[in-house]
Amino acid sequence: MDAFIEAARMVAQPDVLLAILLSAIYGLVVGALPGLSATMATALLVPITFYLSPIAAIATIITASAMAIFSGDIPGCLLRIPGTPASAAYTDEAYAMTRKGEAETALGICLWFSALGGIIGTASLVVMAPILAEFALGFSTFEYFWLAALGLMCATLVARSSPVKAIAGMLLGLLVSCIGMENPAGLPRFTFGVTDLLGGIEPIPALVGVFAVSEVMRALVTPDPPPLPRRRFGSILKGQWALTKRYPQQQVRGNIVGIIIGVLPGAGADMAAWVSYAMSKRFSKEPEKFGTGHPEGLIEAGASNNASLASGWVPALLFGIPGDTITAIAIGVLFMKGLNPGPTLFTERASSMYALYYIFVLSNIIMIPLGIMMIRGSSIILRAPRSAIMPAILLCCAVGSFAIGNNLFGVLLVAIFGMVGFVMERNGYPVAAMVLGIVMGTMFEQSFVTSLIKSDGSLLPFFERPVSAVLAGITICCLAWPLASYAYRRWGARRPHRARVVA
Amino acid sequence: MQLSDRITGTFIAALGAVAAYAGSLLPPVPGQQVGPNVFPLVVGIGLVICGALIALGIGHTFEEEAEAAVADLAPPESPAARHPLYGLRALLPPALLFFYYFAVESLGFIATAAIVALALSRALGAGWRIAVPLALIAPPLLHLAFFKLLRVPLPAGLLPMPW
Repeated sequence: MDAFIEAARMVAQPDVLLAILLSAIYGLVVGALPGLSATMATALLVPITFYLSPIAAIATIITASAMAIFSGDIPGCLLRIPGTPASAAYTDEAYAMTRKGEAETALGICLWFSALGGIIGTASLVVMAPILAEFALGFSTFEYFWLAALGLMCATLVARSSPVKAIAGMLLGLLVSCIGMENPAGLPRFTFGVTDLLGGIEPIPALVGVFAVSEVMRALVTPDPPPLPRRRFGSILKGQWALTKRYPQQQVRGNIVGIIIGVLPGAGADMAAWVSYAMSKRFSKEPEKFGTGHPEGLIEAGASNNASLASGWVPALLFGIPGDTITAIAIGVLFMKGLNPGPTLFTERASSMYALYYIFVLSNIIMIPLGIMMIRGSSIILRAPRSAIMPAILLCCAVGSFAIGNNLFGVLLVAIFGMVGFVMERNGYPVAAMVLGIVMGTMFEQSFVTSLIKSDGSLLPFFERPVSAVLAGITICCLAWPLASYAYRRWGARRPHRARVVA
Repeated sequence: MQLSDRITGTFIAALGAVAAYAGSLLPPVPGQQVGPNVFPLVVGIGLVICGALIALGIGHTFEEEAEAAVADLAPPESPAARHPLYGLRALLPPALLFFYYFAVESLGFIATAAIVALALSRALGAGWRIAVPLALIAPPLLHLAFFKLLRVPLPAGLLPMPW
C-alpha cells in the first residue's frame, strides 16, 4: 500500500504533470500530421528525456505515444490519409462515415474507444506483469535466448510483407548490433578502425534515421496531401455511450486482441488494428456494411490499437524485449534512467512501476478533453505546410542525434540509417524488423554465447529445461509457419488447375 | 529507389557471406570454444540463405497481398515524378545531414541549421515567404531549447547567441 501512495506522490510532482501535459500536446500534433508516425514522435523525444527525472522521462514516452496513436485517426477520418500507420487499417471506414456527414461520430468513436482501450490495456499490464515477473525469476540464459529468438521471429511473422524479407531485415539488424566492443571477448568487431564505432551503434540514432529521416526523404518524392476543408464540428462525444452499449462484444474482442498482439514482441499497434478490423468483419452480423461507414469495425480496431500500447510494455519491462517499436525506444530510456528491465524491477522498484500504471491511466483520461480540443483545432493544425514541418523535423534529427552522446558521429549515423530505411521500405523490407534486431542484438548474442559456454558447445541443453523446450517449440513453429503457408498455397493453387485439366 | 528482388537478394547474400567470413576470422575467448566469432557467423549464414531465397523470388506472394491492401490509400503521383532523376531528390535530406556534420563546427549551429532549413523547404516547394522566415526563426528556437534548457553544447561558430 505504501508503494501505491509513494507512486501517486511521484506522479503528482509538478515536473511530471507538466511533462505529461506538454508531451500530450506534442503527441497529438505530431500524430495528426500525415506521415509522422507515433514511433517517430517518440524517437525525437528521447534526447529531451535525458534531462528529465526518471518518472517524467517515462511519462513523456507513454503520453506522447498514446496521444499520437489516437490523433493519427484524425487525418484518416477527414482526409483519408492515415496520420500514423496504426490508423491505416480503418481509414477507409472512417472516411466513408465523414462522407456520410458523420465526421463527429467517427472522430468520437476513435477518441472514446481509444481512451477506453488504453485504460483496459493498462489493466492488463497491471494484472499480467507481476504474475509473469514471479514466473520469470526462475529463467536462465537458455530461456532468455529462446525468448529473444521468439521475439525476433514474432516480429518477422506479423510484418505485412514477405516473411523472408522480414527475416532478412531482422538479421541485418542483428548484424548491425555486432559492431563494436560489446561482445563476449570485448574485442573490436567490424569497427574498420573507426574509433566512433567502438562503442557500437546505439538503437536511438538508428531509429531516428529509419523512422524520421526516411520520412523526410519520402516527402520529397511524394506529392503534398490535399488541404483540409474548413469545417465546424458538432458534439464529438454525442452518442458514444449508446455505441458502447450497443457493441460491447466488439469492444471487448478488440481490447483482447490488442492486448495479445501488444504482448507479442515486435508486433504493435498497426498490426493490432489490421487484425481487429479483419476479425470484426468476419464475426459481424452485417459484414456487407463494412467499408460504407459502419461504426462496428472502427470501434473494434480503434480499441485494439490503443490497448496494444500498454500491453506492449509487458515484455519490455520484464525481459527487455520490446513489444513494439515504441517500447524499443522506451527500453533505451529505462536503461538510461537506471530502471533496468527485468523481473526484479517489480520487487525492488515497485513504486516506479505503480507510477507507470498511474501515468498510463492519467494519459488516457486527459486524452478525451485534449483530443476534443485537437479535433476542433485540426483544421488549423493540418493546414501547416509540409515544406515548413519537414525542415524542422530534419533539424530536430540532427540536434537530437548529436545530443544523445554530444558526438557529431550520431548525425552521420542518422543520415546513413535514413538512407538504409528508405531503400529498405521501397523494396518491401520491413524496417521495424531491422530496428528490433538492433535493439535486441546484444542481449540475444549474450544469452546465446553464455548458454553455449555453459553447455560446452552442445545444443542439447537448449531444449532440456521445460520452459525453454516450450519456447523453443513455439519459435520453431513461427519459423515453420510461413513455409507451411507457402506450401499450402502452392498446393491450393495447383489443385483447381488440375481439376480443370481432369474435367 | 525500386530495385529488383534479384539485386537486393544478391546484395544481402553477399553481405552475409562477407560477415560470416570476417566473423570466422575473429579469435575465440581464450580457453573457450566460442566467442565473438560465433554470432556473426550464424547471422551471416542466415543472411546468405535469406538473400538466396529472395533472389529466387520465394515469399513474393505474401507481399502482393499486403501491397494490394494499402495501394489504394497511396496518393496519386505527380507528373514530375515520371522524370528518371526525380527519385534522386530523396537523397537531399541525408546530403544536408552530411553537410551539417562537416560544416557545423566551423559555421556554428545557427548558420548551418538555417542553410539546411532553407534548402529543404525550398526543395519541398515552399515559396520564399515561408522558407526565409522558417530559416530565420527555427534555428534560434532550437538553439534556445537545446542549448539553454537542455544544456547540449551546440557549437557557436560565426553567430554566438545572446543566451
